[in-house]
Formats: sequence, structure tokens, C-alpha cells
Amino acid sequence: MKTVAVSSHSIRQALRYSMSRMQNDLVSAQKESTTLRVADVGLALGARTGHSVSLARDVSRLNSLIDSNQLAASRLSSTQSALAQLNERGEELRTALTAALSGSSDPGIARADSDAMLETLTSIMNTSINGEYLFAGINTDVQPLANFKDPTSPARVSFDNAFQTHFGFTQTDPAAANITETQMLDFIDNVVEPQFMGADWNTNWSTASDDTIVARIGLNETAKTSVSANESGVRKLAMAAAISTSLLSGPVNSGAVSAVVNRALAYTAEGIAEITDARSNAGIQENRISNASSRIEMQIDIFERSILDMEGVDPYAAASKVSALVTQIETAYSLTSRIQQLSLLKFLG
Amino acid sequence: MSLSTAFNIAGRSLRATSHQTQIVSRNVSEAGNPNYNRRIAVVSSTAPGSQVLTIQRAANSALFRANLSAVSSYEAQASLRVGIESMTQAVNGVENASSAATAIGSLYDALQIYSANPANASIAERAIDAARQVVRSLNSGSTAINASRVDADRQISGSVDELNQMLADFKDVNDEVIAGTIAGRDISEPLDKRDTLLQRIAEYVPISTIGRANNDMVITTTSGTTLFETLPREVSFEPASGYTAGSAGNQIYLDGVPLPIGTGGDTNSNGKLAGLIQLRDQVAPALMAQLDEIARGMIEAFAEVDRSGGGGPALAGLFSWSGGPALPTAGTLSNGLASRIIINPAMDSSVGGNASVLRDGGANGANYVANASGGASYADLLISYQARLDQPISFDPVAGAGATASVMAYSTNSISWLESVRKKADEAQLAKEALVMRTSEALSNSTGVNMDQEMSLLLELEQSYQASSRIIQAVDEMFAALFQAAG
Repeated sequence: MKTVAVSSHSIRQALRYSMSRMQNDLVSAQKESTTLRVADVGLALGARTGHSVSLARDVSRLNSLIDSNQLAASRLSSTQSALAQLNERGEELRTALTAALSGSSDPGIARADSDAMLETLTSIMNTSINGEYLFAGINTDVQPLANFKDPTSPARVSFDNAFQTHFGFTQTDPAAANITETQMLDFIDNVVEPQFMGADWNTNWSTASDDTIVARIGLNETAKTSVSANESGVRKLAMAAAISTSLLSGPVNSGAVSAVVNRALAYTAEGIAEITDARSNAGIQENRISNASSRIEMQIDIFERSILDMEGVDPYAAASKVSALVTQIETAYSLTSRIQQLSLLKFLG
Repeated sequence: MSLSTAFNIAGRSLRATSHQTQIVSRNVSEAGNPNYNRRIAVVSSTAPGSQVLTIQRAANSALFRANLSAVSSYEAQASLRVGIESMTQAVNGVENASSAATAIGSLYDALQIYSANPANASIAERAIDAARQVVRSLNSGSTAINASRVDADRQISGSVDELNQMLADFKDVNDEVIAGTIAGRDISEPLDKRDTLLQRIAEYVPISTIGRANNDMVITTTSGTTLFETLPREVSFEPASGYTAGSAGNQIYLDGVPLPIGTGGDTNSNGKLAGLIQLRDQVAPALMAQLDEIARGMIEAFAEVDRSGGGGPALAGLFSWSGGPALPTAGTLSNGLASRIIINPAMDSSVGGNASVLRDGGANGANYVANASGGASYADLLISYQARLDQPISFDPVAGAGATASVMAYSTNSISWLESVRKKADEAQLAKEALVMRTSEALSNSTGVNMDQEMSLLLELEQSYQASSRIIQAVDEMFAALFQAAG
């Protein structure tokens, strides 16, 4: 007859299963208390695991937006400082031209200043950062502006050709002294201006594109993050400097000089105003970028918090779980050893 | 004459006691064997002094059946969970690090950086490299799934061989039981062996048993297919030589009837074989279909459109496939696409392509060029690709991860699907494991040996042995006294 309901085998095995479970739990609890994340995200979240992966991906894409926004912002701030320099040089040119117009200085001084202006303009417009030309629109791998001072440059050649065609002699020809103020004004307004303000600018002067660099600054937001050398302010300053440096180089009479200086002064003034406009536009874009970045940072915060909500583990809970498990396992060990002692054999003489 | 009768009775008692002692010592020696059923010596007296000793074997058929069924359901669950676990690791990596979802996220980031530096050739290469990672993740995921199906087949094939062997062994043991019963021998030994075999068979297929005359036993599966009746029935399985996406695996036939398969992460399959088939035929193909759909979504998201106004079809851009440059049919599962997706050779610098084609468009000829002016800092197309990754498109509902989603979201849906199956499988395994532990403990308590009980029995036997010896001694002295008086 069988009266007892427990076998020696079960007594010995009783703690084995719970022991192995507890040891398993201890491993994951230890991991949780050191990483403060659940030990196995998939097992903890199940069908919501995809959501946590997608949040982590969002955080990473927002971070990459912040990185690229920094790049766009640095491009815009370089643009700002370059345009500021250009404005400064424009103001100096205006002073020189005004002085020349009032007759208080020799037109040669204004010409020298235009020369310098042209050089500064070319070098500023050809600024490159990381091998990309800042003012080239999207055509950033080609130097945007031709050097007017180089006699073989297309800008210079076409300008000189236009003069030759219009008057029948070169700027430095003695016959230039006979050009009247009206003739000079006619040449500037009807021949030179289209070269700068019309389609010829893109063939003779600039290889920049009108399209400027578009950057994605937010998840659904783009901004124009560069200024092209084809801005009309740039063209006007270039034109003012070009006419005064080139047309004043010959033996022109005072009427023609006054025509050139007058026009140059007008274009300089317009150019400065338009560049100031371009600067304020760039400023607006800079502001949008910094707003977008701070919005994105807030979003990252929120996303990171939800990731923490899903995957995070309370450090106190994790630590107390570890110590509870350790206590349980120790209890199980001492029970096991007590049970091993438990045998009738010990009491049989 | 009654003195000599007393002498005889005491002698028989000694014999019975030593017999019982033998059984006790046998029980003690097998105390650690979980498959040993305790033997009980039953002594019954017939005529005065005549003792018959029979051996009973402790058995509890209800608990034994409960244990068999718990073992079957645990084995199915365990093989399913282990399979899902290793497939998750192989396809998505630790913490989903090598999953398609993560790779697509990195590609998105790389596109963002590229769109901010469109003129930079090395950043363009990085974007292409991120795309390569997507292709690698899909390719290797699809290879891993096929490999896991082949592996499941190999395990099934090995298990079927073992099962056939066990059924053959079962025949020998069953024959021994029948012969022993007919001859009236102690059949405890072969019964123990038979129970052990049944427990091992239950690991592979869910079984129930029917007892017949002379302790003969018939084994059927729980669904009623005969596995053993006098002779073992054949279990047959033909492993496939290899798997591709969409190909079906072979069935296991028990006595010509296909083995029934359950469904779900907390599976209602029973037995290791059904668990393996469920893994091979349900989980693996669904995951494969999801990878194929992710691949199709990526090809669609990066498709190039005809910009010449000539109305040409949209053709494969950054991601192409062996059937390219035409796009795979929209909204329909295309089997095996995840293993056939490639980087468009026109953009892949390792095969003579140029990474900047990604920025400008035109992998399919001049009509598909988006950057008409050729400016090096043209970013519009790159920005539009990022938007396309977030645009919902339709997916084949057959794959089981939703019908309309952006390819980014679909890739995480796939992770959710797999992890939810894994979580269910893991939880169910814990529950079923506990059930196996509980039922085998109950069975062991009911049929196993308790040392203390055997020891106390031994004490009892010792007492009875001593008493009988005293009787013999006393009778001996009486005879001596009698002989002396007579002498």
C-alpha cells in the first residue's frame, strides 16, 4: 500500500526548477539594473517593439537634421559676413564716386577705387568653403565669377568688343576724347546695362545658377540656404565698378566722365540697397533654421522620453529585484542542503 | 506435530521476509530514477502458514496521461520558440541592430546628410553604402530564413528517424509485456521500459494509449491516427533539398495521414514535429513575405520618373532587382524580392557606376535626369526621396504586417509582428514548462520511491525476521528440552 504522497526524487528535484528560473531572472535583473533598460526589449514590448524601433529611428533622423542644419547655418553665416564685406566696399566706392562727382577729387582716384572694388567683389563671390563655391547657386563645383581684370576673360572681352562695336575704337584710343556725355550715357544704358542685367551676364560673367541651395531643415520644411552671384545687387555693383574702371581708363572728356561717374554712383547705391535686402533674407533663413533646430530638439526630448517610458527600468525597482532574487536563491541553497540532511538513515543505529 | 509446523511457518516467514527485503533494496537502489515505478511486495496468506508473495507496480494512469500531454505541448512550444528566437537573431540581429528597419533609418540619415552636402562625393558614397546595408540586411535576412527552413527540415528528418526507431523498440518491449503476462511472470521491468518509451514518443507526437488484453497496448495520436498496433506504423518524411521564398515544405505522414499542425505564437501544436513544421510553414514564410514587401517598398520609393514629358514608365532607381529596371507589380507580394534586390549598377561605384546619379537622377537614361542644369549642389531629388520613404503605399495584406503604410513604418511593423509572436511563444513556454514540471512531480510522487518509507519498511522486516528467528530458536530449544526429557 502506498501512503505517502511524495517521492525522494521529487524532494530532491523540488527546488531545481524554481532555482533555474530564479537564476535566469537574476541574469536579466542584473542586466536591467546596470543598463537601466529592459533586458530583452522584444519580450518586454511584444507588438510594441516596432514602435520603440521607430522612435529610436526618429531620434536619429532628427539628430541628423540638427547636424545638417548646423551646416546650413554656417553656410548662411559665411554668406552674411561675405555680403557685409561687400557692402562695406560698396560704401567706400560710393564715397569715392561722390567725391569724384562733386569734383573735389580726381576721377583717377574713383577709378582706382573701382579697380579695388572689382577685385574684392570677384574674390568675395568666388569664396569657397570645403571646396564648394559659396555664391555659385547650386553649381557649386565651378568658380562663379569671371575675373574682369584678366584681359582674356569672357567678361572683359565682351565688354571691350561692345565698346569697339559701338564707338569704332578702343577705350584708350585718342578718339575716345571725343565721346560726348549723351553718347556715353547711351552706351551705358543701352549696351552695357543689358550685358549685366540681361541674359548675357550668365554667358560672360557668371557660371552660377539662379537656383540656390535648398536644404531640408525640418521634417516637412525646406529653406534656401545660399545667395547666388546672380543677385541683381551683385550685378549692379559689378557693373558700377566695371564701367568706372574700364571707361575712365581712356582720355575721355569731362562730360563723359560725369556720365560714367553718375551712372556708377546710381548703380552702386542700388546695389548696396539690394545686397542689404539679400542679407536680411539670409537672416530670415538663419532664423528659421535656428527655430527649426530648437523645435527639433524639443521633439527629440519628447521622443527620448517615450523611449524611456517604453524601455526604461526604474533603478530602485531593478536593484531591489536583484537583491530579492539573491535572497531567494540563498534561501533555496540553504533549503537544498537542509533537505539533503533529511534522511531516516541518519537516525538508524 | 504442531512444533514442527511452527518451525515450518517460521522458516517460510524468513523466506518471505528476505524476498521483501530484496524488493526494498531494489526500490532504494532506483530511488533516483525518475522513470522507475515503485514495486510493492504483497504478501497474502492462504492456508495456515502458507504465504504467497506477489509484486505490484505503483502506477497512476491518469497522472501518466496528463504528463504525456503536457510533454507534447511543451515540446511543440519549445521547438517553436527556439526557432523563432534564432530566426529573430539571424534576421534582425541583437536588439534589431541589423534589421531592415534600422538599415532604412540609417539610409534616411545618410540621405539627409547627403542632401545637405550634395556636392560632396565621399558623402554620396556614404549614402550608397547605407543603401548597400539595406540590401545586405534584406539579402541576408532572406538567406537566413531559407536556411532556418532547411534546418527545420533536417531536424524533422532526424526526429522522424528517432521516432521510427522508438516505435520499433516499443514493439519489442510490448511483446515482452504480453509474453510475461501470459506466463504470469513479473512484468514490472518491461512496463517501466514501455512507459519510458511512451514519454519519449510523446515528445515528438501527441499520443494516447489504449490498453488491450494481456497488457497489450495500442498507441494512436490524439487526433486518432494509429502509430502502433501489434506492429509499428511507418512515419515518413521527405526533406526538401532547399528552400526559396514561397516554396512549400513537405508534410510528415503518420501511417499515411498528414500530421496536423497548430497555429499561433502560443501554439496549439503538440509535439516537437508539429512545432517544427509550424515554424517552417507559418512563421518563416510570413517573415519572408514581409522582407519581400519591404524590398518592393524600397524599390518603389526610389523609382525614377520620366521627366522628358514622353510619358515613359517609372523605372527602378537606387534599388533595382533582377527583373529591373521595370518596377515589380505595385501592391502585390513578389516572392523572393528580398533576395533579388540590388543597388542600381548605375550608382554602384564598385561595379563602375557613379554615386552622384543618386543626386541627379538618370539611372535609366537622359529622360530620367532630374537635375537638368547639372549643378553640383542640387538637393531637390534627394529631399523628395526622404519624403517618399515616409509616404504611405499599399502592401500585400497576405504578408500579415498591414496593408497601407510607408515603407519606413512597414519595416517596423514587421519587427512588431515577429516580436509579438516571440513574446507569446516565450510566455507560453514558461507556462507549459511549469505544467510539465508539475505533472511529472505529481507522477513521481504517486509512483516514485520514498527512501524513508523504504527504510521504515526495512525496520519492520528486520523485526519480523528477528521474531521468526526467535521462534525457530525457541522451537529448537523446546525440541532440545523434549529430547532431554525423553533421553
